[in-house]
Amino acid sequence: MLSYEPGGSVAHRLDPRSKLLVQCGFAAAAFAYTTPRGLSALTGLALCLLAAARTAPHRALWEFRFVFPFLLAVPLLDGLALTRGVWFVAADAVPAALASYRVVLVALVAAAYVRTTPVRDSRAAVQWAVPGRTGQFLGMGVAFVFRFLPVLRADVGRIRDGYRARLGTERPVSERIRTLAVASFNRAFDRADRFALALRARCFCWNPTLPDLGFSRLDAPGIALGALLFAVAAYAVV
Amino acid sequence: MSNTTTSEVDLVGDETTLNIARAALFAALMGAFAYVSFPFPVSPVPVTLQVLGVFLAGLFVGPVWGAAAMVLYLLAGALGAPVFSGGSAGIGVLLGPTGGYLLSYPIAAFAVGAVAHGGFELRSLSEASVVRLVAGMALGTVAIYAIGVGFLWWNTDTTVRTAIVTGALVFVPAEAAKMAAAIGIVRSDAIRAE
Repeated sequence: MLSYEPGGSVAHRLDPRSKLLVQCGFAAAAFAYTTPRGLSALTGLALCLLAAARTAPHRALWEFRFVFPFLLAVPLLDGLALTRGVWFVAADAVPAALASYRVVLVALVAAAYVRTTPVRDSRAAVQWAVPGRTGQFLGMGVAFVFRFLPVLRADVGRIRDGYRARLGTERPVSERIRTLAVASFNRAFDRADRFALALRARCFCWNPTLPDLGFSRLDAPGIALGALLFAVAAYAVV
Repeated sequence: MSNTTTSEVDLVGDETTLNIARAALFAALMGAFAYVSFPFPVSPVPVTLQVLGVFLAGLFVGPVWGAAAMVLYLLAGALGAPVFSGGSAGIGVLLGPTGGYLLSYPIAAFAVGAVAHGGFELRSLSEASVVRLVAGMALGTVAIYAIGVGFLWWNTDTTVRTAIVTGALVFVPAEAAKMAAAIGIVRSDAIRAE
């Protein structure tokens, strides 16, 4: 599963803000230059970024296998020409194929970020970017989601196991969906009530102490790269 | 590390604490639902519970906190929580072909909640008529598919025809089933929310 892994790569040592800047700049450049030349240059850059994060490209690709059916279906359907006496017009499929490839590149760079950035750093970056209580809400909310995701996945898994053991799988799909949804929502609401009580007991406040974010010398090239990518993208748009 | 005094601590109010906890748990549940898919007889694609989660967020947590829960879900996914379908994560999914559906969730949850509750306040669902519930969920579904298909069309540089076929028509039967399931859940009082 795609998640943070501790390590000593260059990307691990960067500030989360410069990594987010590079990531967004890369996406902007990929959307601005969806041409064979632009995308081949960006492929090289994406491979360099993955190398800097010591993430193997094939592993990162495997994480995104669920979007591949879409990425393959769209160019194929676009190329389909039922009216012209031929089955497939390759030229019609090219723009969609390029766009699909662009998505793969953006996903690879995003995978490098996810692999090298601990949640606490991401939270600190969010609260740095969005000031005030909105940022606090987003920051702590995201941290809670990370904390409770495995718990609720286990809840849902147990509910399904129990249902299966009682031959619930023989029932119609609509009923199965309803049973599972009701049981999981009730568990989630119970947990939320208990969690809220626990938070209040621990003086849940708007201003907790977070890790200090600090740019190091390594971040300078990162920020420069991100800014350059944005500038290149802006140049294409203007 | 410096010492913290009582006057510096800015406590979160009780009701807000409960709403934050519910929004976060709802967002995590959306993530857990991403792993659950049912084979659906008339639909070529497997049905996940996520859109049902969007409906129920609007209905049970209200338009404002329901939308907030969806924002948390998206942000957590963008920052690396494995909450998107099949356990994927990262900004790459949001900018991918199916990103529009995901980005529409906060708007859809807000629409469902605002129509069903007749405003921004959370009211008892037993007072809401079935017409209101259906209207809310229909509006939410329209929002999800309008944004989702528009995004797919723009993202993959395809024709409108291809986008509508691959992005909406194949899902329609399943959506109707989810709306029916949501109404059944609300009417049966099975969820102990209030």
